[in-house]
Amino acid sequence: MKFKYLGKSYNRPDAIAKVTGKAVYLDDIRIPGMLHAAILRPEYAHANILSISTEEAEKMPGVVKVVTGKGCKYHYGDNIRDLVPMAIDKVRYIGEPVAAVVADTKANAEAALAKIKVEYEPLPVYIDGREAMKPDAVLIHKENGQYWHLPHIKPTPGTNIANTYHLIKGKGAEGFKDADVIVEGDFHYPLGSCAAIEPHGAIVWFKEDHTIDVWSSSICPFIIREDLAHSYGVPVSDVRVRIPDIGGCFGYKSDITVEQTIAWIASFVPGRPVKWVASRKEDITSTLLGHGIHSKMRIGARKDGKLIAIQNEVVHTGGAYADTPVNVTMAATHNCAGGYEWEHCDLIGYTVYTNTPPVGAFRGYGHQEGQFAVERLMDILARKLNMDPIKLREMNYLSEGKTNSLGEMMWKTHGDIRQCSDYVKEKVFSKPKPAEDENYYYGRGFAAVSKSPKGAPFSTKGCYMKMNIDGSVNVSMGGAEVGQGLRTVVRQVTAEALKIDPERVRVYNDIDTLYSPYEWQTIGSMFTTQGGRAIIRAADKLIAILKNTAAQVLKTDVDYLEYDGDYVYLRNDPSIRVSVKEITRGYITSDGITVGEVAQAVSDARLPRYMNPDANGQGSLGVSYTFGATAAEIRIEKKTGKVIVDNFTSAFDIGQVINPQQARGSVTGGVTIGMGAAISEKVEFSEDGKILNPHLFKYHIPTYKEAPKQDVEFIENPDAIGPFGARGIGEHSVIGPAPAILNAIYDAVGIDFYEIPVTPDVLKKALESRQEVK
Amino acid sequence: MAEKISFTINGQPTTVEVDPEMLVIDVIREVLNLTGTKRGCDNSTCGSCTIVVNGKATKSCNMPVKKIAGADVLTVEGLAKGMELHPIQKAISESGAIQCGFCTPGIVMELYGLLETNPQATQTEIENALNKHLCRCTGYEPIRDGALMAQKLIQERK
Repeated sequence: MKFKYLGKSYNRPDAIAKVTGKAVYLDDIRIPGMLHAAILRPEYAHANILSISTEEAEKMPGVVKVVTGKGCKYHYGDNIRDLVPMAIDKVRYIGEPVAAVVADTKANAEAALAKIKVEYEPLPVYIDGREAMKPDAVLIHKENGQYWHLPHIKPTPGTNIANTYHLIKGKGAEGFKDADVIVEGDFHYPLGSCAAIEPHGAIVWFKEDHTIDVWSSSICPFIIREDLAHSYGVPVSDVRVRIPDIGGCFGYKSDITVEQTIAWIASFVPGRPVKWVASRKEDITSTLLGHGIHSKMRIGARKDGKLIAIQNEVVHTGGAYADTPVNVTMAATHNCAGGYEWEHCDLIGYTVYTNTPPVGAFRGYGHQEGQFAVERLMDILARKLNMDPIKLREMNYLSEGKTNSLGEMMWKTHGDIRQCSDYVKEKVFSKPKPAEDENYYYGRGFAAVSKSPKGAPFSTKGCYMKMNIDGSVNVSMGGAEVGQGLRTVVRQVTAEALKIDPERVRVYNDIDTLYSPYEWQTIGSMFTTQGGRAIIRAADKLIAILKNTAAQVLKTDVDYLEYDGDYVYLRNDPSIRVSVKEITRGYITSDGITVGEVAQAVSDARLPRYMNPDANGQGSLGVSYTFGATAAEIRIEKKTGKVIVDNFTSAFDIGQVINPQQARGSVTGGVTIGMGAAISEKVEFSEDGKILNPHLFKYHIPTYKEAPKQDVEFIENPDAIGPFGARGIGEHSVIGPAPAILNAIYDAVGIDFYEIPVTPDVLKKALESRQEVK
Repeated sequence: MAEKISFTINGQPTTVEVDPEMLVIDVIREVLNLTGTKRGCDNSTCGSCTIVVNGKATKSCNMPVKKIAGADVLTVEGLAKGMELHPIQKAISESGAIQCGFCTPGIVMELYGLLETNPQATQTEIENALNKHLCRCTGYEPIRDGALMAQKLIQERK
């Protein structure tokens, strides 16, 4: 199908504000009377707090208030209510807020922190979920099991296991009896930081009229609003959350993160707005981390390559609070099956409390961790079967009529992984690989990709649309623009739905819960799908209003009318018409009497029949998928062991492409993040839970010169849910790089790695020990 | 103790009365309220705070304000002439180089320091300049495209 305003690279509506430095981010907000907070972090990652002395800090210049967690009576959280805004009697990780100073300037607040004296009683520290889940481990939450939680979450009281999710398909592990060949591995995707260039920050203001104003660098204003209303006993309508421009998210600005802590601090200085912005160190040590997933996986196949069974035990180093990691674990568990059909699945995932910062969303949300394991094992299995690894995959890809691990039937409208795979195979593997030379080994590796949204069944996105007297349109939604370009998508989809030029569509900028339509949160690569559907629904309603008014003006029945963006006209005689400009406020007749409704509409959309897991851990928990295929072409420097990714090729079936430039940019950015995880990024801990590299010069994210050349292709089989057949592409590109690069490393030097990052040190050591064996 | 320090910012002579050790980024953001200059890290790694001092791209987060006494300082707010964008801004805003936009002002100022001094900069010089900046969104490809487009616009400028 041909569309007028889709498949074209319109420029971003926010480009000019951003390039002139006029876009307003959280730290750019100034409010009269604003105070500044600094937060004290503990010396131990796990300890009882014996005493806190604040007297000396209170006497420091500019100090207005010193705050501790004493007296805090509430817990909060969306999935498991196990979080506290500030440590009360114990600390559970090295970035936990212990106390805070509120002062006239940030410098004064920070200077006073050193004067707070805290006595601790250290406790044993767990930085690895596998240790923390042992039966004799000291409890990080003795209350585990008593916290309020959503019904599908299953904590094990008396242990550090916050949730167990178990999926069985077919005969489960019994299915391996039918397999001729079995391979297995113990994989680790370590803790990482989303490392958006803008750190977290928030402003909270408890106002004298008993309302609460919040500004945050967050993608979930409506969750913040409901959470604070619940904690402080005020109506949800009295908490106003505003979201300015956001300097990148990549996951860790979803779910409530720093806002409850800043609210707790601000509640001690009512009447005064309090601002806090994380340093980079705090951004890494005290907000959310990503990943931390061990996957002990085995897969079995028949001699001919037909996949039979998959088993995986996921142990998730979830961090000190399980509210945010618990769904990541589930996603990593049921999505580890990848883009393949398995007759039998036995997949179990444990979310484990540890003394590390809580894990939350990281672009990819469990998929890259689980598929890192399965895509590596597919290559290892192919070797054992003496088959080409891509041919093995081709035999087993999900396609129309097959069912995934969740038992969801695949249809043509889910997209075509084979087409993606064929593109990558032709582009990368149809030519000979460069031969080893004096300085480098060369390798190529493949990985297929499958991703579901992993949201919540009630997740929805609202849209408010109004047409103005000149025929221009304003659209307001609750979706957070983190850079992904959703404002452009809103503009183009609205233009297509209303049949008007995108120039006539003005899209919202900030989100304000006082005025913006409701959205759960902007996650799961779902804005285009759900938000786009909401736009179409609003546009349909708006057009119906225009037609109803026009029917009165043209003295006919509504179903005889057509709308073309400029006019509503009679189908059998288009010369009988009224312009939309004349009817957007209703139609004003010659004597001033006005008829018809104002042309404005509200709508929302969620995924159809999305559900909680059933007793087998199955059900429609994905609903919408985007499939893809990727390949890495690498060099390994012999002298240093350094992996250089020369080229990275990606193909995704994203249905109708809305904005080619933005879609490509999403992929090139995501691939670079995935590459960072594969070869350099890891949050390092000491045995006692201290973070050793909480800075960007130590936690190394890819630079310009390290980024690969990229080949990006989109396949466009239309989706059945998204607007005009579009599918999500926000997160998918981060999934392929780690397995593709590690498969390429094997291709280059014949060494299998099961853990990332494969840094030069790691690779050099492995090369040296390989030479010793020879 | 606070001292009076004078410099020119975006063409406007200015005097601030601050601790001479105060960092330039804090003077720009907190005293002069020019919030286009961004802070993304704690130790001069990310490049978001880059400004132009006497024609040279400079990180503002590790330099005390006393070092810019008498200097000609340019921030991202000083580039556009009214409604007319600087060619670098035009190119960067059209090449797909902007996603979240937080690293953008620093990159724009880096390119200004390079291309306004040396419009014939080599590809290596451009790459070395861009390698001083961290971007988490784009994978850098569209930033390179924008830089090359900006260079062309500057070379063709009358």
